[in-house]
Formats: sequence, structure tokens, C-alpha cells
Amino acid sequence: MTDATAPDPPSLFERYRVPLGLVVLVLALRPVVSSDLLLGFEAIANRMLILMLFVAAFNLLFGFTGLLSFGHAMFLGFGVYVPAIVVVNGLPGLPPGGSLTFLAGVVLALLAVAVFSYLLARLIVGKGEIYFALLTLAVSQAVYFVALRDPGGLTGGSNGLTRGALPAFVEQSRGHITIHAFGLSVDWYWVVGAVFLVAMVGLWQVLRSPFGRTLVAIRDNEQLARAMGVDTTSYKVWSLTFSGLLAAVAGVLLEINNSGASIENLGVLTSGDTVLMAVLGGINYFFGPIAGTFTWLFAEDFLTDFEVLHLPTAEVSLVSVDLGPAFQFWQFFLGALFVVVVLTAPEEGIWGYVRSLSARVKRRLVER
Amino acid sequence: MNDATTGLVRRTRRRLAGVSPVAGVATVVAAVLLGNAAVQEPGLFIDQAIGGLVYGMILVMLSLGLALVLGLMGVVNFAHGALFMLGGYFTYSAMETFGLPFVAALVVAPIAVGIVGVGMEVVVLRRLYGTTPIIGLLATFGLTLMVEEAARFVWGASGLQPSKPEVLTGGTDLLVTRVGSYRLFTVFVSALSVAVVYYLIKNTDFGLSVRAGVQDGEMTEFVGVNLPLRFTAMFFLGSVIAGLGGALRVVEFGVDPGTAEEFVILAFVVVVIGGVGSLFGSVVAGLLVGWAQFLLPVVLSSLALVTGVAAIEVEGVGRLIPFLVMIAVLLVRPRGLFGEEGLLE
Amino acid sequence: MTRPSDEGRLDGPAQDAPDSGRGGSGRGVEPEMDPQSAVLGVADLTRTFGEIVAVDGASLAVEAGELRAVIGPNGAGKTTLFNCVMGALAPTAGSVYLNGRDITDDPEERRPHLGMARSFQSNLLFGDQSVLENVRLVVQTARKGAFSLDLFRPHHDVGRDRAAAIAETVGLDADLGTEAKNLSHGDQRRLGIAMALATEPDVLLLDEPTSGMSPGATAQTAQLIQDIRDDRGLTVVLVEHDMDVVLSISDRVTVLDRGQVIATAPPAEVQNDQAVQDAYLGGMREEL
Repeated sequence: MTDATAPDPPSLFERYRVPLGLVVLVLALRPVVSSDLLLGFEAIANRMLILMLFVAAFNLLFGFTGLLSFGHAMFLGFGVYVPAIVVVNGLPGLPPGGSLTFLAGVVLALLAVAVFSYLLARLIVGKGEIYFALLTLAVSQAVYFVALRDPGGLTGGSNGLTRGALPAFVEQSRGHITIHAFGLSVDWYWVVGAVFLVAMVGLWQVLRSPFGRTLVAIRDNEQLARAMGVDTTSYKVWSLTFSGLLAAVAGVLLEINNSGASIENLGVLTSGDTVLMAVLGGINYFFGPIAGTFTWLFAEDFLTDFEVLHLPTAEVSLVSVDLGPAFQFWQFFLGALFVVVVLTAPEEGIWGYVRSLSARVKRRLVER
Repeated sequence: MNDATTGLVRRTRRRLAGVSPVAGVATVVAAVLLGNAAVQEPGLFIDQAIGGLVYGMILVMLSLGLALVLGLMGVVNFAHGALFMLGGYFTYSAMETFGLPFVAALVVAPIAVGIVGVGMEVVVLRRLYGTTPIIGLLATFGLTLMVEEAARFVWGASGLQPSKPEVLTGGTDLLVTRVGSYRLFTVFVSALSVAVVYYLIKNTDFGLSVRAGVQDGEMTEFVGVNLPLRFTAMFFLGSVIAGLGGALRVVEFGVDPGTAEEFVILAFVVVVIGGVGSLFGSVVAGLLVGWAQFLLPVVLSSLALVTGVAAIEVEGVGRLIPFLVMIAVLLVRPRGLFGEEGLLE
Repeated sequence: MTRPSDEGRLDGPAQDAPDSGRGGSGRGVEPEMDPQSAVLGVADLTRTFGEIVAVDGASLAVEAGELRAVIGPNGAGKTTLFNCVMGALAPTAGSVYLNGRDITDDPEERRPHLGMARSFQSNLLFGDQSVLENVRLVVQTARKGAFSLDLFRPHHDVGRDRAAAIAETVGLDADLGTEAKNLSHGDQRRLGIAMALATEPDVLLLDEPTSGMSPGATAQTAQLIQDIRDDRGLTVVLVEHDMDVVLSISDRVTVLDRGQVIATAPPAEVQNDQAVQDAYLGGMREEL
């Protein structure tokens, strides 16, 4: 996301290109991804949008405030586990499996995560970058092990919560999810898309607000920001709080998407993958996490099923190369790409590269 | 030899002189609880104490390398756990695939890990000297992922464990219980190697020159020290000892692709608790974490026995302990037990 | 050039004007004013780093509207003193007063809101942002306070015009869109001054504002500083190495040597002060 740094205010299109881009993304993602040319199935589009939101939440804290969290899964976990627990067990006055029960669970989850993030932030935000990262790792590991122990039978331990975790208004048949509400039946993808849009546009607004601008200033030069009168600690605390809240929203969506909660949602792999996706995509940019998540999930699906590469086409095969074994370990290659990005252009990533490429192309066209 | 011991005692006394009354009370409480456990369930207690010692020494070996690189060269090496893991895998291959005897594997595998470590240092870590610690953390995190995937490619996704050498099966009697010979062997080897590393760093020109190189690189090079070479050598040393730790562990517990991340986190916990910049701290902290994890269940169960309150015996707390302690340390005293102030803050 | 006011003097023998101040107590801490009654006061400030004493019992009392230069050989403790005054470092002992109020324990980020602002010797800027954005951010912070949860507006609406005006004051109006890291050294220094101005201070602390500048740019900057002080009625404290600047624009000069204040007087007198000469030249004599 660039800001208006030139003296003239930008055009309307310039100003609102992020929300426009988001709308295009939501509308186009599923059709594009489910075409036979690419992945050939729809459900992954849901997962992509949900994780894009999660990684964007992470990047609010990392790319835009400069604080690296190695334990973001714990915030996601609030959104996944709390509604699931509430739906499975019910609340006083609200039966298990009910729609209202679920909504109550969501409210509870968001309140809980907000309080948790805020208090955690107050404790750890002043400790220095590396210690902050280690602390988030340690706290999220602690949360993981607590959930693993299955306190009071609530979390289901290593099995998670898989039965009875979906509220009544969700209908699941043959991998296709439909939401029944207010007399309408809506495809789950559009519900995800709507929540995604609202949340991301909200994030965009936060980032372009005076509050968001100050976060970027803190990231760029905290010492200077403080000397100019910015209370950097409070800004960091609120950034972490918002980030946790947004991550939990993604968690709620994930809970319905996966019909329950799994202990892996709280694990280090989830936290680690988030860092990978964000940096790969480009932490300096609003669309960076989106690009990174797409690349990662696309690779995961596309390359693992990849078996034989036919050249030039599958029908007319002159040369075939058996790439299956190698591409199964796609994480090795993406990991290598990640290391290269970190060493050469740690803040730019894929999206940064795409932007500079298109800037060069634009210049060439103008020169003609 | 006497001078060295008195020196150690004096230094420890001086270091502990700054300890607060709170720590004093905590120590007394811990002593009481441990004493209770030892009396109530002596067999289990000794068993767990040895287990904790073994685990702790492995942690020390793992963390020493990390502490060296972090304290001396300022790089947060997340890939250290991967080196530990490779120690296990190389040992397995040496024994099961190449039929080497255990002792030979114990030499070959760590050296192989050292070579991998040097490769890492030359290709990636060198570019991290002088950058912000976060960049180093991220880059080495990526390296870990690569090594994990490569391990999965070569050795498969499930856990592997070589068979224990004949000579070390069986055990000896120790007080109320039997102690496995392999465990004794592990303690012996790890203590020896830690002592060697310690000596190398503290008492030789080599260690001194690396420390000087970190303080003032230009001057040290001016005086004729080949600094990049020494840094690489230091990294080699750290990798070898981590590999050795992995080698010792794999025989008893096996290894799998998740070992890297599991243990690197523990390594950081130990280094933080012990204090960044202090090798002595890593040793103490490693042992403390090992004992805490193994002895806590016994302490709790005997406490439950004595007081009759069964609820005290909380399961699975052992794994939680290292993290809770690290959190406490970072919040209250970020420089850890013996660390220098201001490092990494 | 305006003269510091004669009012508000509480201690010491009655004096007509500060330039006879070297009389009674000889050289040393200013005889006329108590740090607590000055606009900016420093009382017995000490700052140690382990064994090293960087600032040793320094006292200052800067009067309203005064332009004070702080000079001294390298390592005299000038920047450390600045850092303590601005709250970037906590003093080991002593106090800092702003308009009579003890601000020693106030955190660094509060001080710009109390009326003090600084520029940096090392050119701290938001390098990737434009000149306008650098200044605008400070204007925004000054208006909204140290922390504000202003989430619902786009940022460019806040403080833009004011920022442009301030940039114009320092002569950067032609470069509003340029990224700060791409500015010339001299322009970067001016941006630093602009950012300090954007906090609407009563007291401006400038750390070597002309360092690294050509003679022409130096003279321009010196004039700029003077104009700023005159037009806005600010109190300015400068750390300076360039003696021409010191001589031409400052009302009084404080000389630091090895962390101690060894003289406070108008520039002409300081020039001729034996102790000051010793401090500057003595070091060299030792080297020879």
C-alpha cells in the first residue's frame, strides 16, 4: 500500500485501489483456482481467503509495526476453539449445536482474544525484537500444551473437536458447505468472501488512518518516533490487540470451514507457515500477505499432485519428465526462495517484485 | 587443577552474590519439595534424576553451540536444531546403512554435521553478520525448513532409531535402582565434550581471538588474525557438539523431521534462562531445565501423597515448564541467570 | 537581535545584563539564574556509563528567547547532555526543568508535548517517506497527542497544509515529494529542523545543525535558525562546532569540557577566556 506522498492528492482510483483489488480478488479467486488449468477444485478457495486474512492480521504486527510474532497460531486458536467448545457443550440457556449458541461463542471468542492480546501485549511489547519473538513463541507453545492436555475435556486434546462442532445453520454435503440464514441459502464461499472483504477493508482503513501511519513510523525508526513525541509502547500494544482480534476472526471462519478445531491450529507449524507466507509475499505491502498465501497454498496443492510433466502438452507428449518425487518436497524450494528473499530483499517479496516489474513495463510503454 | 576449581568456586560465589532473597526462598522451597520426593519415592526419584541429568546434558550440548554463535557472533541461529537433528540422522545412517560400530558413528556423525554447519555458515550465515538479529532469525528459520524437507526426502517422514550397541545395554545398580549403562555413557561423553569446548573457548588463543574479533573486528584482523576463518571454525565447533548431542540422543529416543523445531525452541529456552553471552549460564540452565522437566512429576506426585490432595498431580505439566520458566525469566530478568545486560535488548 | 529579558531573576547579585556575568563567581555556572526559573534549566546533571563520567554536574539556565550555543572539544559530553535533556537517556543524577517544572522523570515521548523539540546529529529521518510526510507525521503527533486511536480518517487529511507551511519555512517547499533518503545532506538537516518545528515547541534543541555543510549552506542555516527564533519567539539551544556560527548568532555560549561546564558567557568573552582556550588547546598540547 503506498500513501499519498506527492504534494497532489491522488485520483479516486488511486485512493481506493486496495478495496477495489480486494473485491476483484474475492470475485475472481474461486473461478480462477477451480479451473482445470490450475487446481481443479473449489474448496481450496475458501481456505485461501481465510488464511490470507490470517496472514494479513499477522502482517499488521510484523510488516506494518515491525514486531515479529512467532506464535500467531494462538490467536487463530481462540477463534477456532472457543466457538467450537461453546457449540459442542452449549451455554446456560443456549443448547449445543444451536445457531445462537454459535454466535454467542463467536462473541466470547473475540472478547477473550481481545483481552488476552491486550494483556499479553502490555507485558511483552517493551522487551526488544528478539525477546518479543521468543516470548510469542513460548506463550503459544504453552497454550498449545495446555490445549493438548485437554483440560476438563473441553479441547479434545490431540484429537481436537470434530463432532458436533458445527452450528445448525451450516449444512455440509459432499465437501460443499452452505449457510442457511434469514431464509436464504448461501454458498459458504460467499460468506467467507463477505467476511474477508469487511475485515480486510477495515484493516486497510486502519492502516491508512493516522493510527496506522504512526505504526509505520514506529517500524521505520522507533527512536525517531519517540523523540518526536509518539508513545510507541501504546501503539504497539494496540497493534498486537488488533492483530490478535483479526486473526481470531479468521479462526472463526476456519472452524466452520474445517467443521471443528484441530490441535494443529495452535501448533508451531501454523505459526511458522504464517511467517513464511508473509515474508515470501512481501511484508511491506498490503497485498503482500495475499500474494504469499496464494503462492504457498497453490504450490502445496499444485506441486504435491504433480507427477509427470509433459512437454509441450498432456495430449501431445514429446518429452515427459517425472517430477513427482522432487515436487513432493516443494517446501524445500519455497524455503530456499524464502531464504533468498530474506537475504536480498527482505521487505519486498513476491509482491514487491511484481510491482517493480509492472513499474518498469509501464515506463517502457510511456516511453514509446 | 586446584587453581581452576578454586577459580570456578570463587566465580560462582561472586555470581550468586547478586541473587535476591526471592531466589533464596525459592531455592529453599525447591529443596524441601525435592527432599520430600526423594524420601517418598526414592527409586522413581533417582530414575528421574538420572533421566533429567541425561536430558539436561543433551540440552547443554545443543545450547552451547547456539550460545557460542549468539553470544560471540551476534547471530540468532534458528537452524541449530536442524544440526542437532542431522546428528541423529547421520548416526542412524552410519550405524544402520553403513554398518559402522557405535563408537565410530559417534565420531563420524558429529564431524559430518560440522561440515554441514560450515556449509551453512559460508553460504548463508556470513551474510548475516552485522544485520539486524531479526533478519538472522528469519534466514535461519528458512534454513531449518530446508533441512527438514531434505531430511524427509532422504530418510522419510517417520521416526528412525538405530539399535543400541550390545556393550551398552544393561545397567549397573545405583542405590535403590538400576541405571542404564547407556545413560551413564551419555553423561560421561557429554560432560567430557562440554569440558573440552569450555577449555577451548576460555583458555586458548583461539577462543580469545574470536572474542576479540567480535569486540573489534578491524583491529583483530590488523593484528594478523584471519577472522572469517576463526568464525567458521567456531561455527564448526558449535555444530559438532550439537551433532554429538543428536547422536547420543538418537539411540535412546530416535529422530524424526520434527526434531529440529522441537529442540531449537528448547535450545533458545536454555540460552535465555542461562543468559545470553554466558556459556556457564547455558550449562547451568540446561541442567536445570532437564531436571525440572523430569523431576516435576515426581515432586508433584509425592506432594499429592503427603498432603492427600490428589489434584496436585497435574499431568503433562513437564513439557510446559521450560516455556513458563522462559517467560518468567524474560519478563523479570531478561538477561537470564548469568548473562550480560543489554545484549539483544 | 533580541536580548534575553532582565525579568525573573531571583538569585545572585543584581546585574544589568548577562555579559558582565563573569564577575562575581568567576567562570563556571551562570550566576544569575536558577535553573528552575529559566525556560530550560539543567541542575547538576550527571550521567555515567559504567566507569566513564560523560556529564559531570552540569548546570544550565536558558532564558526565554535566548539563543544559546553549547560548545566544547570532542567527547566533552554535549550530545549526552542533549540526550539527557530530551529524555533519551536518564540522568544518573540531577534534574531537568522546563518552565520551572521538573521533567526529569517524564518519558522521552512526553517531552515534545511539553514544549521541547530536538534535531539529531545523525540525521534521523524516515528515509523512505517524502519530505512532506516526514513533517506531516510530526504535525499529526503534535496535534493528537502521544497516543491516539484515530482510526477512521485517511491520514493525508491530517496536518498536510501545516506541514507544507513548515517545510516552506526551512526552504524545502520545492522538495515536498522527494524521499528523505534522497535529499542532499544539507537538506536532510533542514528536514530535521522542520520536524522539530512541527512539534510547536517553546524550546528548540539542535544538535550540530550545520555539520557537513558547505560555508554557503552553513551561513544560510545560521540565518534560518536566527529567523526562526526571531519570528516565533522560541528559545534555541545549539550544539555547534562552527565558531563562525556561534559568534554570529548566539546570545550566550556554554562551554563543556570533560562533562563539566567551564564557562557561560556571551561569545566574545568566551573567545578570550583562558580556561576555554586551555580546554581546546590543552588537549592538543598533550598530544604533542
